[in-house]
Amino acid sequence: MTLLLLVSILFATAAQNAPGAANDIREGKKLFDGMCARCHGVDGTGDEGPSLNRPTLTRAPDDESLRTVIRDGIPDRGMPRVRRLTDTELEQVVAYVRSLGRRSTGTASGDAQRGREIYTRLGCASCHIVSGQGSSFGPDLTEIGLQRGGAYLRQSVVGPAEALPRGLSLVPGRGFVEFLPVRVVTGDGREVRGVRINEDPFTIQLRDTTNQFHSYRKSDLKQLDKEFGKSLMPSFRGRITDAELNDLVAYLSGLRGAL
Amino acid sequence: MKARAFLAAASIALAAIHASAQVSYQRIVKAESEPSNWLTYSGNYQSHRFSPLTEINRQNVGQLKPAWVYQVRRTGIVETSPIVADGVMYLTEPPSTVTALDVRTGRPLWTYTPAIPTDVIVIGSPPVNRGVAILDDTIFFGTVHGHLIALDAKSGAVRWDTIVDDNKLGHYLTNAPLALADRIIVGVSGAEAGIRGFLDAYDPKTGKRVWRTYTVPGPGEPGFETWGGDSWKNGGGSSWLTGSYDPALNLVYWGTGNPGPDWNGDVRPGDNLYTCSLLALSPVDGKIKWHFQFTPHDVHDWDSNEIPILFDATVNGRARRLVAMANRNAFYYVLDRETGEFLTATPYAKQTWADGIDAKGRPRLRAGTDPSLEGTLVFPNIQGASNWPSPSYSPLTRLFYQPAREMGTYFYKGESKYKAGEPFVAGGGRAVNGDDAWGAVRAIEATTGKLKWEFKLLSPPWTGLLSTAGGLVFGGTEEGNFFALDAETGKPLWDLQLGGAVKANPISFGVDGKQYIAIAAGYAIFVFGL
Repeated sequence: MTLLLLVSILFATAAQNAPGAANDIREGKKLFDGMCARCHGVDGTGDEGPSLNRPTLTRAPDDESLRTVIRDGIPDRGMPRVRRLTDTELEQVVAYVRSLGRRSTGTASGDAQRGREIYTRLGCASCHIVSGQGSSFGPDLTEIGLQRGGAYLRQSVVGPAEALPRGLSLVPGRGFVEFLPVRVVTGDGREVRGVRINEDPFTIQLRDTTNQFHSYRKSDLKQLDKEFGKSLMPSFRGRITDAELNDLVAYLSGLRGAL
Repeated sequence: MKARAFLAAASIALAAIHASAQVSYQRIVKAESEPSNWLTYSGNYQSHRFSPLTEINRQNVGQLKPAWVYQVRRTGIVETSPIVADGVMYLTEPPSTVTALDVRTGRPLWTYTPAIPTDVIVIGSPPVNRGVAILDDTIFFGTVHGHLIALDAKSGAVRWDTIVDDNKLGHYLTNAPLALADRIIVGVSGAEAGIRGFLDAYDPKTGKRVWRTYTVPGPGEPGFETWGGDSWKNGGGSSWLTGSYDPALNLVYWGTGNPGPDWNGDVRPGDNLYTCSLLALSPVDGKIKWHFQFTPHDVHDWDSNEIPILFDATVNGRARRLVAMANRNAFYYVLDRETGEFLTATPYAKQTWADGIDAKGRPRLRAGTDPSLEGTLVFPNIQGASNWPSPSYSPLTRLFYQPAREMGTYFYKGESKYKAGEPFVAGGGRAVNGDDAWGAVRAIEATTGKLKWEFKLLSPPWTGLLSTAGGLVFGGTEEGNFFALDAETGKPLWDLQLGGAVKANPISFGVDGKQYIAIAAGYAIFVFGL
């Protein structure tokens, strides 16, 4: 009873303060830190999810589309619907996310044109496609600037195992590690290393390091190792300078699909 | 030898049936004596989901092949568990369509779709249907707009159409009714819309309600004191999955769902009886003989609607009538089904919320496991270590086969105010999915809860299990596999990719002296035989 009374008083207080935008942003930050920051970074600076501290959000150019994204998620692209929000909570998160876009965006300090040359020199196209050009062993990077924040891109170049792809592959399904390195030993003793494309309890499909497709019944294999925490992408740590890394990240951040 | 004996028995039973072609209550009571039919949701009143047929067995299951496939004419998740009676299969298509098929060919005989309003309110689950009940010459099923409808089994013509309760308040039906002598028992969904849950019984002939027992007591009733303030009015406690029945004790066993609102229990201080409980009720008047609450004051959405399985066994030298449930909260419970006395509880999947269960059956809660603003990681997840997919019990192996879900959730606490016909939930969760989640078919010694074997699955399953006298357990996967395991060892003996997630319960039946297995997957019903 007492508790109920207390709750009612709190409700009433909240209602009186509701119109204050600053209050909305403050409450929105609390919700964001709890539910969104893990992927979108504290203050929306981006992590394994895209940065949100930009004036225009590609999938949410207006408040209505932002509400929809927050309410329903984008399950196909790895963004879950976290939980059902009340209308008030939804408005608070919208207010907070919009406030991030009004802040200084702190754009990448590198030179994208030089970054493009570095991309070519390092041979990135031997595993990645940009605008239809390149090879498909690794993720397509055509829209990577929309999908990932700068810090995440930087990490993926110097320590790819700590910044694995997410939301870039539609199979094997939501939440599964994508481009998971696997090593199998076949019944006749051959070793094959590659990335998992799909899997079920009885079979596994993979592409080997020459991008050839393989399908196995697990019961036919002598060994199947899933190498969690590893990436088949080489680390470029120590192979490029900090300035070159900045340039490369600037180039990647500018990849935003067909213009 | 045994196989031939069973088949012979089945043929004799079949011959007897054709004379009457009426599915009487007595036939359902003795369902094991005519294994070529599947007369009630879980195969028998004890909910064993066990087939005494032996034609398909360990030796030959490797040769199992599709006999026919029926593609549903509607879109939505197909969670149906068919009924087979006298040459006809009765199944449901989402959200609330009933179709009768020729069991030999899969060709439709009739189909019935009620007029569902476009503004139908379905809060708390996808708009699915899990099956029908049959009694005499009538088919009974529930709808997402809150009706219980009786159809003529031969033609699909409506015999009666009763409104169970107002859909504008969020009442809807997904469960297969349970047909008893002179009673159609049916549960209701809607706790996430803040309904006050109940279980109903209807007259099979007229559709008139015989009794209603609320799962949340009102003023003056026992248990009312377990609800603070007016919280009982929107207390939830849905009864959304089919229960079991003991003809000898004349008691119905039915599980109840979560209290409302989910994830924030502050507005409903107390144990919140009879939510997250098993009720033993008289089918005559609906009176509750006993209750057992698995999760008092639930804040994780761990409904206790899971299938209660009835079996008899000797416990500590004493013959007892038992009821077992692999609860959504990750513990496997065994109770005395005459008295409701708690006997044992054993974790059958990973759980991080309780330091065990005390001698009375009450969980010893672990601190810091309530939902929070920043999210609290707890196992099992919101959908639980078990859910609606059925377990199976084999009287031959005396094992309880459970599809177990190994998954955690970050539970968030929010706020909610009741508004009629709108979501009454206060928080939610973010599941730990993908490679961090998995599942298993677990064979549990029914009396002790001890694990005998497990067969690992890539993802937490949404498929029920069927065990058979052929020494097999059939199950399925989220990835679309349908498979058979050795019931004694868990060794995989056969599997086939069906091309769509298997979110249904398997059954078995016989026709023309041959055994078949049926399962829904994707948007189709598959029937397999040798």
